[in-house]
This record gives sequence, C-alpha cells and structure tokens, in this order.
Amino acid sequence: MGTMSIDELVGRQNRDGGWPYIRGASWTEPTVYAVLALWAAGETEYARRGLRWIVRNGRTDGGWPAQPGIDQSTWVTALVALLPPEQLGQEAHGRAIAWLLGMTGEESTLTYRMREWLLGNSRLAEREPAGWPWVPGTAAWVGPTSLAILALEREHSRRPRAEVRRRVEEGRGFLIQRMCHDGGWNHGSVRALGYESRPYPETTGQALAALRGVRSAEVEKGLTVARRFLAECRSAEALNWLRLGLLAHQELPAGYCAPAGVTNRTLPDGSLDMLVSAVQAGSDLFWS
Amino acid sequence: MQKTITRRELLAAAAGAAALSACNVQKPVAPARVSVVRAASYDQSVYGTVRRLLDEHRVEVTGRNVVLKPNLVEFEPESSINTNPLVVHAALEALRARGAASVRIAEGPGHRRNTLDLAEAAGYFKTVPHFEDLFVDLNLDDVSRVNPPRQFSRMKKLYLPNTALGADLLVSMPKMKTHHWVGATLSMKNLFGVVPGGVYGWPKNMLHWAGIEESIADLHALFPRQFAIVDGIVGMQGNGPIQGVPKKVGVLVAGADPVAVDATCCRIMRIDPMRIGYLRLASEEAEAYISERNIQQTGESIASVETPFDLIPEFQSIRLENS
Repeated sequence: MGTMSIDELVGRQNRDGGWPYIRGASWTEPTVYAVLALWAAGETEYARRGLRWIVRNGRTDGGWPAQPGIDQSTWVTALVALLPPEQLGQEAHGRAIAWLLGMTGEESTLTYRMREWLLGNSRLAEREPAGWPWVPGTAAWVGPTSLAILALEREHSRRPRAEVRRRVEEGRGFLIQRMCHDGGWNHGSVRALGYESRPYPETTGQALAALRGVRSAEVEKGLTVARRFLAECRSAEALNWLRLGLLAHQELPAGYCAPAGVTNRTLPDGSLDMLVSAVQAGSDLFWS
Repeated sequence: MQKTITRRELLAAAAGAAALSACNVQKPVAPARVSVVRAASYDQSVYGTVRRLLDEHRVEVTGRNVVLKPNLVEFEPESSINTNPLVVHAALEALRARGAASVRIAEGPGHRRNTLDLAEAAGYFKTVPHFEDLFVDLNLDDVSRVNPPRQFSRMKKLYLPNTALGADLLVSMPKMKTHHWVGATLSMKNLFGVVPGGVYGWPKNMLHWAGIEESIADLHALFPRQFAIVDGIVGMQGNGPIQGVPKKVGVLVAGADPVAVDATCCRIMRIDPMRIGYLRLASEEAEAYISERNIQQTGESIASVETPFDLIPEFQSIRLENS
C-alpha cells in the first residue's frame, strides 16, 4: 500500500491547525483522523494544534460542521466524539455526545411518522430502529450510523449509561435491517423498486466495525462478504474499513498486508491507514 | 381489486394535465440549437466528432476556465454506467485546441466516496494523460454558500464546490440513461454530482428530501454557463441509473441549452419530455426548449436515430407512444 508517513501528514497540516482532504482549506473529517493518527504515533505537538482547530469550530448546538463557515452541525460530530474527552475537553465532548443522542434519521421522528400515518402510508406503531443521518432533517444511512455507534460505544465503555446503550443497540438494529440480501452493506438502500442492491466494501467494513461483539447469522454473512471484498478490492479507503471491520471480529487474516499498488488518495485515507495499522498491531484506539 | 395511485403516477398525471393546459401557450422563444451526431463506437473517431460538435456550436472558450463534469457512479468498467472516458478526453482536447486557459475534469459521485479509485476503475487514468492532476473531487472541494435563484425546491441555501462555481463554462457530460425516480438522467440530473458529499454525505439525501425534480431544476438555474455533451454511444435502459442494462444508440447529443439537449435525448429514447418533471420545471415557459418547435436541431433526425429504451413498469406512462 502507498502508505503515508507521519512527516507527510505533519507537512500537510494547514497554518490554522486543521487538515484538508487533499489540498485547500481545513475540514473537520480529515482533521479528526489526522489528530487521532498523530496522537497514536506520539506526535502530540501537531495533534494539539489540530485539536485546538477542532475545539474552535464547535457549534453552539454541541455539534460540528463539515467545515468552518457551514451553518449546520452534521455527521462529522460522531468523528469528533471519537476523540478522547481528556484531549477534546470534557465539556465539548459531553456536548458532542448529547448532540448524537438527540439526533435520528428524520423517518424515525414522531412528526414524520405522524404525517405518514395521516397519509395512510404506514401504521403509527411501525418504526424501524433509529439510525443517524448525514445531515439533520434527512434519513438515516449506514455510514453515519456506523460512526455514531463507534463513538457512543467508546463513550459507554468510559461512562456506562442506559441512554447510550439503548441508542447503540437501536443503531445496530438499524444496520442489521439495512444489510443487503446476500450479506454486506451499501450506503443503506437494500432494495429500490423491488430490485436488490449490491453491497460496497467500505460500508461493509464500517458496519462490521460498528457491530463489534455482535454474534448473529447476519454478521456472519457480512463477514463472508467482507473476506471476499478483502481479496478483490483495490481501493485504500475500502481496504482500511474492511480491515477495521474484520479486526473488530478477530477475522482479519494474521499478517495481512494490502496488495501492492493500492494508493491512499486522500489525507483521511492515509490517517485511517495508520490508525487501522495501529489496531492491527494491538492498539484499542477505536474500542476503549 | 382496489387500484392505488402511486406518487409517480400522480406526478405523471399532474405533468400530463399541465401539458394539456399549456397547449395554447404560443409565446415565441429563440430556438435552442441541439446537435445529434452519429458515433458508432468508442474509438478514435470520437475525437473528430466532438471537435466538429464544438465547432458547429462555436463554443467560445478562449482564455476561459472550463470544467468537464462526467457521470461517475460505480466500479463497473464493463457496464454502461459511467460516462466513457474517451468522450471526456475528446472534449478536453477539443476545448484545449479552442484556446481554453484551463480544462479540468470534476465529479462528486453520489454513493461511493473513493472517487479517484472509481475513476481508475472506469478507465480514466488509462485514457486521460495526467488525469490525477486534472481531476477535482467535487465531494471534497472547498465550498461556498449560494442561494438558488429560482427556489423550485425547499433548499433555501446550498454549499457548492468552488471549482464548479468558478468555471467560466461547465460542460455536463452524462451518460444517456433511464432513472428509476425521475424517468431519465441526462445533462441536468448530472448536476447532482456537483453537490458535495463532504457536506451532505453519501448519498446526497438532502436533495431527495428537498424534492428530486425541484432540486434538479434549482441546480440547473445555479449554473447559467453550461454546455452539454451526452454520451449516447452506449446508454443504459431498464432499471437505471445503476442496475439497468446497456443500450446501444450510437449518438452524441450536444448543445448549449441543457433543457433542449435533454428533451432531444428523451425523444431519441422514445420518452415524452413533457412528462419529465424537472424538464418542465426548468423550462422558462410552459413548453420553451422542450417543444420540438423551439429546438433547432442539426445533424441526424430523431427519426433516424431513435432507439426505444426499456422502461421499468412504474414509468410506462412516460413512453412517447403512451402519451
């Protein structure tokens, strides 16, 4: 794999302390992954600058925007909540967790379900387990739900709370319901107009990471699909998530190395590669 | 058995009723020129064909910054899901030859995050020299806030990539495909790819909640400097835009007015453009640039190239024969 070095990651830090996806202005997602990767590597000085950038850009509602200047908190709040509270700050971290707990896909809200019931489209009692949306006011999908579960699971391991446990379990229920017919996950559309949809490697890895510790026939099907993807896939982003998903279930082949020629295309790809390699080496970055 | 009316049928009926009510509207408009040219296969002759298309339309790009926006959807190089890279490279070379200051290729896929990997699988790295240097992932580009000027949808504001907003000319280069929500996906629907996943996610579900047809019309209005080249050499029929099957048509369709270009493509596919909701919304007047009488068509006649596309049952009502 075309790995990214710590020096390269440091060299691409913007003056404001954040990181871009590839080049340009700083975004929340690449900055969180870079901070996590640098912290894991012991490069605390650059990580602290990144943390200060993240803290500066938190919004008053407790969430984070994808980029400063965007006036809406979104899915990236789950990534920020993955940062340890002692790094992010207890208050900011607590507010990020509260934002996540208060967020569901719009289809799970009482207002939406009432409207659907009044239109005769559903029974009021019918309710799919709640997942998380990319942006508030829209439906829940596999990607943001997986990230929110990872953040809340980590929070629960620090400070067990029934509310956090309930949302994690419900989110996992959402993932199980959104599994493709033959196993694995795509963005979250199992079928459209009666046609079965196919799974993707990256979202299969994300969902499996979020389903860590779950034993079920669905998870087994997902793992079978993930192993197949791992052998075929040539995308760094997808391989990073597949590795993490398989590691979560102790199913990554021992000594696994990504095939030659796979290139980290973006800074998050490079940072995530470092993080997953650390997990592969025994770190519990994502789980504790 | 009780027959229930689906939302799609309701929309189709509304569009039909609107079409009937608009029959008497005769406001004259300057005709939009649309070219339909034969292109039998993805071979070297495509370069000359695209060059002649741009010549015919006198596309003025001297000293200007041009962005080519293909449609990249999935990792399926053998399928007809993505715009063929040869067509995009042909446009890139032709626009450079016409004096463009810069020509970039930019796309932001709706479902897959790994855009460069997707482009590689679709053959772009092999076909377009220095592709990575020319390419901008619109999902991850820096953004600016804009307000849709027409507000067809519920979107009051939108963050869009600076590369697309800053283009002097945005060339929409879609694949000619059916679409299981809006009937057909052509140059206008292709603009969903400029909405950044980095802000709105994968999929860009906000557009669906704001109204798909209305969002297409809003995006169209946000980019007034467009040219469209539709890859209809091999399109996709049936359950498009992802799970359909290839349909050979053997044409490229081009013009400066995306509404007129898309309406012409619909007719080639034997779809009634009057029943495509976003075309009606985006048209300034009831029939402007959808109506054949307002399109100055050059090249092949529709009759000589028309190729009925298979439609899923939910969209049988938009077939021209059923209108």
